[in-house]
Amino acid sequence: MDIERTQVGTKVLLKISGRMDAESSVQLEQQCESCISEGITSLIVDLGDLRYISSMGLRSFVVIAKKFREKGGSLRICRSTGLVQQLFEITRLNQVLNLHDSVESAMLES
Amino acid sequence: MPAKTQSLTLVAKTESLGLATDFVRNGAREANLPEARIHELDLLIEEILVNVSRYSYPVGTPGPVIITYSIPEPGELAVEVCDQGVEFDPLKLDPPDLTLDIERRPVGGLGIWLLKSFAKSLTYRREQGWNRLAFTISANV
Repeated sequence: MDIERTQVGTKVLLKISGRMDAESSVQLEQQCESCISEGITSLIVDLGDLRYISSMGLRSFVVIAKKFREKGGSLRICRSTGLVQQLFEITRLNQVLNLHDSVESAMLES
Repeated sequence: MPAKTQSLTLVAKTESLGLATDFVRNGAREANLPEARIHELDLLIEEILVNVSRYSYPVGTPGPVIITYSIPEPGELAVEVCDQGVEFDPLKLDPPDLTLDIERRPVGGLGIWLLKSFAKSLTYRREQGWNRLAFTISANV
């Protein structure tokens, strides 16, 4: 899994590509911990190039969403597709996580 | 004539995931499963292996996990995952409460749910000290 970080003002955009599974999902949690320690409160994660996610990846998103919420911030997820989107729907995480169709939409709302 | 089986024995730890996935993907290719089914197969194997790795054996002493596959007919892959850990029937677990908001959602607990959502004919039995979890995945949903 690759993570590309871009900072836009006080917002951080993480673009994730590849697979988010039991071994790689911890990388995203570590990146998010870094953001939180830097005082970032608005995180946007672009999943347009994420081809696969498992329950461990979903778990990471729940952990991250809770942490940002505790800090008064927000996690927004955009461009999930295919099996990734299917898993968000099957687990109804699409109803509790902030999902957007585009990076622009997530940026505007945050 | 019974379908030919292929087996692989691994150590039950998440580091074995790549080998496990590569192995069952061989079966998926032999069974001519489409790409979408192969991604689902990856998911099923990961969910089972992670569960065995985390819960079956005492911490720090991982035991064996045996993955076996066969092709009962073209377009269908039958997979069984066996371990000698504590007795655990995932089919008996209560489903997670998916109506909870983010604050009340527990961290984790979705793996078995995904397994049940994607596996066709998921079965479990305990036999002579082994947990045996089997499923099939078909080209036709």
